[in-house]
Amino acid sequence: MNTTYDAIIIGAGAIGTPVAYELSKMGYKTITVDRGSDAGEGSTSGSCAIVRAHYSTEDGVATAYEGMKYWLDWENYLGRVHDEKGYARYMNTGSILVKSKGHDWKKVKRNYDAVGVPYEEWDNDQFKAHVPVVNTFQYWPVKRPENPGFFDAPTEELQGAIFCAEGGYVNDPVLSCHNTMRAAEANGATFHFNAEVVEITSENNRVTGVVLGDQTRIHGNIVVNCAGPHSFKINKLASGVYEGCKIKTKALRHEVMHCPSPRGYDYLHDGYHISDGDIGCYYRPEVGNMFLIGSEDPECDPQHWVDPDQFYSGQGAYARNNQLTGEQWRAQCYRLGLRIQSLQVPEQPGGVVDLYDCSDDWIPVYDRSDMDGFYMAVGTSGNQFKNAPVVGRMMAELIDAVENGLDHDTTPLQYQLKYLAGRWVNMGFYSRKREINYESSFSVNG
Amino acid sequence: MKIYVCVKQVPDSAASIRIRGENRIHEDLTFVMNPCDEHALTEAVVISETFKGCETIAVCLGRPRARETLMSAMAMGANRSILIESETDHDSITTARALKKAIDLDGTPDLIFTGKEAMDTGGMQTMFRLAALYRMPVVTNAVDVRVDGKEVLVTSEAEQGVRCTWKMKLPCVVSAGKGLNSPGYPTLRQIMTARKKKMEIIAFGDLDLEKPMGGATLLKLEPWVEKREATWLQGASSEIADQLVTILHHRAKVI
Repeated sequence: MNTTYDAIIIGAGAIGTPVAYELSKMGYKTITVDRGSDAGEGSTSGSCAIVRAHYSTEDGVATAYEGMKYWLDWENYLGRVHDEKGYARYMNTGSILVKSKGHDWKKVKRNYDAVGVPYEEWDNDQFKAHVPVVNTFQYWPVKRPENPGFFDAPTEELQGAIFCAEGGYVNDPVLSCHNTMRAAEANGATFHFNAEVVEITSENNRVTGVVLGDQTRIHGNIVVNCAGPHSFKINKLASGVYEGCKIKTKALRHEVMHCPSPRGYDYLHDGYHISDGDIGCYYRPEVGNMFLIGSEDPECDPQHWVDPDQFYSGQGAYARNNQLTGEQWRAQCYRLGLRIQSLQVPEQPGGVVDLYDCSDDWIPVYDRSDMDGFYMAVGTSGNQFKNAPVVGRMMAELIDAVENGLDHDTTPLQYQLKYLAGRWVNMGFYSRKREINYESSFSVNG
Repeated sequence: MKIYVCVKQVPDSAASIRIRGENRIHEDLTFVMNPCDEHALTEAVVISETFKGCETIAVCLGRPRARETLMSAMAMGANRSILIESETDHDSITTARALKKAIDLDGTPDLIFTGKEAMDTGGMQTMFRLAALYRMPVVTNAVDVRVDGKEVLVTSEAEQGVRCTWKMKLPCVVSAGKGLNSPGYPTLRQIMTARKKKMEIIAFGDLDLEKPMGGATLLKLEPWVEKREATWLQGASSEIADQLVTILHHRAKVI
């Protein structure tokens, strides 16, 4: 195996594969290493792969809306590369944001207007006309079923919804990573699996490479941390990098439920992606005419910060970490049962439990580090899958600019979006040195 | 008409089971109703809706945590439930005796439903032992059940591709196969309503069961890891199709 590369990317998931792809297109000789057996087999495999534009910050909306354009043009983005597994599909269901006290929807609307995201405002009757199984009562604040007030009859109505015709989900996030890997390989990239990074080497505060678990040394003057929930562990391997980050990351356990659609309702074909802060859930269609129900992290739900190695080996303290729990199954399904009263809830939990790579303010860190040549695309907080192709390009341009002399910490790179003409994103927004951004929703909503 | 449905609480099939000691499992996982019992219960509820005054009662021998499963049974439509509470596991001989005693204390069964097997132990004896204790006829792996009030016509799947239709006089025992129906899962309103339904708790010891002549004791549990061997089919589409047909015919023996 050739052991010298221009850039070593750690992690072949949703973020790592587009970083490899974009760097390869720019002429960098890259190798991506991953402890899994194939692209996207880590936490990306548990991603709900939602594609929606609503974020709590203007840059967040702009980046997400830009990302949507990539998904709409997926084959061309990949250079129409051949993938023996076929292409992942973007399912453009449309996206509904319920106007509720659980979302600062007025801010989202302002951000839509600023970025130019087309949308419609619906009243409750329009909401019900499009999604006939919902009722439009208000259940806020979000509660757990153990709370006696959970079953109290609601008295007030919602304020309607905001609908974006552009929005939906990617049907197979793992396959999307495989697609991007094939596109990167077509540009000369190398991928190395079943390879765990155990050491980051450096000299005079310049990264020089990585050492794998089998003691293979890979040399390279650029290393990019795209390790998902393991990101903080990788940062700790690089001398001074973790300590140099004002914004830290850690791994948050999350459960996503699959609950059958009410009889007679073809949610898989007729349904929308819906963000419903009033009940602390988002939901989208899933194969088998199921509702995929995610949590929007309401305050009443406990947060389980875990060690990712313990989690994936089933050794953690809480439900061995990697098992769905009955209590959270009931919490998320019963909440949706308030909104959709014909929803049938089996006793047996079904769904996915995986980890978010969560930052202190739930906004990612796309940045260089205090060690020259060491970069990070981390803290994706369960909401960056949709942005992954944009992040790949942003990171590649950031790396290229810094390697060519840009003092990004002093003069942050201004990234020009490719599809949203004339719009620039200040990459200082994603700095590791930033103060906590209190504009954030501090949830998966970002 | 009284329909009793015997249900068992089993570990969630999606959970990874860890063995504790020689013959126990770690119980830090989710427990649910045995899947075949969901079919049995669904069928009982459908039948009870067609007979005026018909009552469906779920009966379970299990740990205190089985209350949740009985709550689910009532949410799925059982009118009430009985839990025979025991801190230990029992073989099918004792289970059948306990179920019969609890049913007898409650009333006279016209029809008894069970699932065709327990997903956790693979057990499939209880329905036969229960029928023998009652001297009732029994049909297992039912995929169609029609009740006219005095008789029941049951179609069962004997083996792949072979179905038999049986006529039995009530009372009788029917064990439900997975092909019988699609389980009718409850809505939130039904889950809430179930909280108001009656659940009778009987201590296993209070049944004062006669000790059977024999019994089966679980001595040892061992993890069994199923080996998976992927075969990569290559070539033109027609060649791949030919290879696939050969595998399905000769190796899997499904065509």
